[in-house]
Amino acid sequence: MKKLLCLMLMLAMVLSIAPAFAEGAEPITLTVFRGDPGDQPTEDNKIYKLIEEKFGVTFKFEFLAGDLNEKLGLMIAGEDYPDLFDGGNSADLIINAGALINLLDYINPDDTPRLWEHIEPQKARLIEKDANGNDVLYIIPNYGLADGDQIANSVGGPAFFIQKQVLAWADYPEIKTLNEYFDLLEEFILDNPTNADGTPYTGFAILCEDWRHFCLINPVQHLMGRPNDGEVYICVTEQNYEVTGNDPSEPFKTETFIDKPYAKAYYEKLNEAFHNGLISQDTFVMNYDQYIAAISSGTVLGMFDQAWDFGTATSALIDAGMDENTYVALGLVYDPEYVNGVEIEEHYLNGSVPNVRRGFGISVKSEYAERIVAMWEEMLSNEWQLIFNWGIEGEDYYVENGRLMMTAEQYANTNDANWKLANKAEGFFQSSPKKQGWIMDGEFEGNAWEPGNQPEIVLGLMNEYDQAFLSAYGYSKFADFVNPPIELAPYGEAWQIDYTPVDVDHTKFLQIQDQRLPELITCDPAEFDAKWDAFVEEIAPYATAFADYMQEAVLAEAAKVLGE
Amino acid sequence: MNAAAQKTDKGLMPISKKGLLRTLAGQWQLMLMSVPVLLYVLLFNYFPMRGWIAAFQDFNPRIGFSGSKFIGLKNFIDLFGFGELPPDEFLIVFRNTLAMSLINLVFGTVSSILLAILLNELRIKWFKRTVQTVTYLPHFLSMVIVVSMAQNIFSTEGAVNDFIMSLGLVKEPVFWLGEGKLFWWLVGVINVWKEVGWSAIIYISAMTSIDPCLYEAASIDGAGRFARILHVTLPGIKSTFVILLIMNIGHLLEAGFDIQYLMGNPLVRDYSRTIDIYVLNYSVGAAKQNYGLAIAAGMFKSVVAIILLFTANFIARRLNENTLV
Amino acid sequence: MIDKAIATTHRKSRLNREWAFPTVNVVLLVLLMFLTLYPVINTVAYSFNDGTDALRGHIGLWPRKFSLVSYKNLLSKPELYQSAKITVLKTILTTILNLLITGMLSFTLSCREYVLRKFITTVMVLTMYVNAGLIPNYLLVTKTLGLHNTFWAYIIPSMFSCFNMIIIRTYIMGLPDALVESARIDGAGDFRVYWQIIFPLCTPVLATVALFVAVGSWNSWFDTYLYNSAEPDLHTLQYFLKMQLATTQAQANKAKATVEALQAADVSTTPVTIRCATTVITTVPILIVYPFLQRYFVTGIALGSVKG
Repeated sequence: MKKLLCLMLMLAMVLSIAPAFAEGAEPITLTVFRGDPGDQPTEDNKIYKLIEEKFGVTFKFEFLAGDLNEKLGLMIAGEDYPDLFDGGNSADLIINAGALINLLDYINPDDTPRLWEHIEPQKARLIEKDANGNDVLYIIPNYGLADGDQIANSVGGPAFFIQKQVLAWADYPEIKTLNEYFDLLEEFILDNPTNADGTPYTGFAILCEDWRHFCLINPVQHLMGRPNDGEVYICVTEQNYEVTGNDPSEPFKTETFIDKPYAKAYYEKLNEAFHNGLISQDTFVMNYDQYIAAISSGTVLGMFDQAWDFGTATSALIDAGMDENTYVALGLVYDPEYVNGVEIEEHYLNGSVPNVRRGFGISVKSEYAERIVAMWEEMLSNEWQLIFNWGIEGEDYYVENGRLMMTAEQYANTNDANWKLANKAEGFFQSSPKKQGWIMDGEFEGNAWEPGNQPEIVLGLMNEYDQAFLSAYGYSKFADFVNPPIELAPYGEAWQIDYTPVDVDHTKFLQIQDQRLPELITCDPAEFDAKWDAFVEEIAPYATAFADYMQEAVLAEAAKVLGE
Repeated sequence: MNAAAQKTDKGLMPISKKGLLRTLAGQWQLMLMSVPVLLYVLLFNYFPMRGWIAAFQDFNPRIGFSGSKFIGLKNFIDLFGFGELPPDEFLIVFRNTLAMSLINLVFGTVSSILLAILLNELRIKWFKRTVQTVTYLPHFLSMVIVVSMAQNIFSTEGAVNDFIMSLGLVKEPVFWLGEGKLFWWLVGVINVWKEVGWSAIIYISAMTSIDPCLYEAASIDGAGRFARILHVTLPGIKSTFVILLIMNIGHLLEAGFDIQYLMGNPLVRDYSRTIDIYVLNYSVGAAKQNYGLAIAAGMFKSVVAIILLFTANFIARRLNENTLV
Repeated sequence: MIDKAIATTHRKSRLNREWAFPTVNVVLLVLLMFLTLYPVINTVAYSFNDGTDALRGHIGLWPRKFSLVSYKNLLSKPELYQSAKITVLKTILTTILNLLITGMLSFTLSCREYVLRKFITTVMVLTMYVNAGLIPNYLLVTKTLGLHNTFWAYIIPSMFSCFNMIIIRTYIMGLPDALVESARIDGAGDFRVYWQIIFPLCTPVLATVALFVAVGSWNSWFDTYLYNSAEPDLHTLQYFLKMQLATTQAQANKAKATVEALQAADVSTTPVTIRCATTVITTVPILIVYPFLQRYFVTGIALGSVKG
């Protein structure tokens, strides 16, 4: 009897320990929702196979087709949450709905040293207070937590773009100001009204379609010497205060720029360009496809845009061998005449911004929170990060003198969507915590985490036209056309701030700009002043409401980082 | 001549004078064929209507319909521009919606009846079938494709401007896409272009029920082609026409969404935005969704639709036409 | 046959006046065909064009740089065939159920002596004008009925539409009364009257409604998006293709903005051509099936012969 009792006791103990022990092995399937579209990986995807072998985890992906906000609204109403939940650009919806767990319950310096170390440098920006004043972290950013010096090979964001042939035609001048830019465009078009086929050139295109209207409404802040803060101008440096005339004793003075006198100069310039024939009225009714078509055909000489927004057009140009029609990003600023004689310092490139609240969270419905965090912890090891970023040595990349290298074919694969479905784990990795920037330790110290950033690969791929073009300027990379990145301001980048509480004012604020700015650009120059004043008056109430809200939010964000 | 209209008010059988229950019992077969569908509709269309309560709430999907805070008529006040939303906009979008759906209704109906008649007059069967197949094809193109094509055709360098300039009708190209006043008509034209063949199908099928003897008789009476169209074809599709007209009048506040959203641009915004776009602008955000406002707008549209519908139905009855209800 | 008879009569009686109208008619219709065919052929031309080249626009009736890459890309995905299977099944089942249910209901609501006629008609008609909104409908199908992530989420919520009922009812009410009356005098019940007399007479309108339902079901992606998006095996063709298009668009936006990366990138499929190729892929099956339905309502069944 005693024996039996002992046996039973032992059995019970074994049974109770067993799950904890075997947890690593017990196979589970995690349901995954991604707030953006994507393809299902192939069944024999080699990276997912590795994950299954090592962690016993398989994934069931759901990608988004349709409207993100609507889909999230339905999921919240039905409380149908997956294990790994990426709300995309509307993650605030699911966070506000209480759909995600607080990761700080699982992440700490002792149990998950790698994860902790990963978030630690940016912890002030990442960790927030919930309604009860507790520290919370719902999502580890999918991008923007980079190690080492910032990598800036080219301008990926906003800039004024100009075709390389225009610069070459003018014998490679340095174009730094608004006037220089438009003067050059005008001279070029006077000399070359059409391309070789007889199609007329468009001097300057402005895309106004829907959310891409940033091409119309964003440039002024950059001309005033700030990187991208969305629709507000925030004074950080002394010069910022000087050019805006704000009171330097107000920290991070935040204002809408579109209704300020300094914005008037830009739209007056565009009005002038319109009447000189550099801008066509068609530009205001163009849809995105038509815009891309115009750029791809090589007849648009310049525009303000973000480089990723016309990436397909650039590849069409390269594909057609029209290298001289591809673009250089210029960091233009106002000429001193527009801003009381001040020489504005240019800053288009900003410090790397953690992609706050973007990426996977773990939903409150998941039973596997502990295992997911443990898996992420293991995956932040150099070994796994190499697998996710570079792949399998020998197959996807090779090593030469401690440098990570790819053949042309291997690198081409990494841009082939169908190849990636079988050989990359993007559905999972894109939204997971990851290392970026430079490898800081171990065997491959000094290499870049992403193949696309590895200097040997980037420079090796540049074609002859671009090499000759750069050497004419004496530059080594296209980012040399602009100033190096500045340190990220304590508030981050203001376009990230959630402005839901002033949504109505903000919507109206944008609508008035969408409607009136094209009118200002196309109106009779004699009426410009009167129309500008009417515009400022019309937008004032909404601009004030938005600016007031943003001022408070910027100060709150800055306070998180600066302490106070 | 007007056989279709004569029939409508005749019952198939005199209504039984016995008690209601007895009658019902006698109609058990009819009930068996219809009551299950009634229950189905009650479940799928009426039961969810408890969701209308959200129009009076600051609805929060996490809490649901039972727990969200009641805010009275605030959503309606906002919707009509007397609350938080800018005051002038509702009237503009209301006007645009009504204008575009009226244009669609008139253009759409006239063009599809015309096409059906022309097809009906064709005697070569293979040609008739070919025309019918080809004209309904654009229905399957997505609005994105159609609008994109229209934007190219109507651009200042597009085919339409080339054409009218070569005819010497205008000297300068017309800025079709940037003139607010032209927007409604462009939408009308594009909708006809896309849907005329598809909408004609109903009329074509209605024409098959016309007794061929009527054409014969008309011919013997010496009626020409136009007379036959006027006195045989048109009366033959009148009931279908009236029913569709009543139904469409109820839909007058539905001017579509895609086409205006895709074709709209900053220059025509005061003419392009419909009620649906207006509601979307103010109800959907990245962090918060004003679901109550959307429901309030839906309720408003439903109420207007029902009033329009019964008015149209009443007029039709007065005119001794076929009625919907 | 009767068409011909009429035509001959006329050819004899008014030869000169009769040729003008048909000529104008044919010219008009050929013109209309050209106008409607242009966008269709243009779409086909784009779908067979190289994606990157197509970005430049201005493609007319023939591809500028011929390429099968969009089709290869779509047709090489195993999900395409699984989703096509689901879509065919769902379309057939939905169409049959709709015809059964709607046909019978339309008949009952065309019987003037039916006591519940007015009430049921009103209840039905209102469904076309009132909409409860997305969330309550979603909750009904998922929480109340638990149909999500099952095939039945495609079938059960879309078995009936009032619009089609009205179309059939209008048609039935236009039929000669004598037919029904004689049958009733013979003592036939409502079931028999419907199935033996009304149903065969309704072929043209039933074919029309079948077309509406089938095309609607074939083209819908929203039901997948609402109820079955988490179950890849149940995705429908339109949903799958919509996802392909969205993915291509996302990839185009995400494409490395650096010129260096683009020089190595293979972006031969672009949203422009994928969108056109998906349109062709979904429309061709409709075109193949269409003639079988078309003959019922375009050439019509000669009503006279049934009566005679």
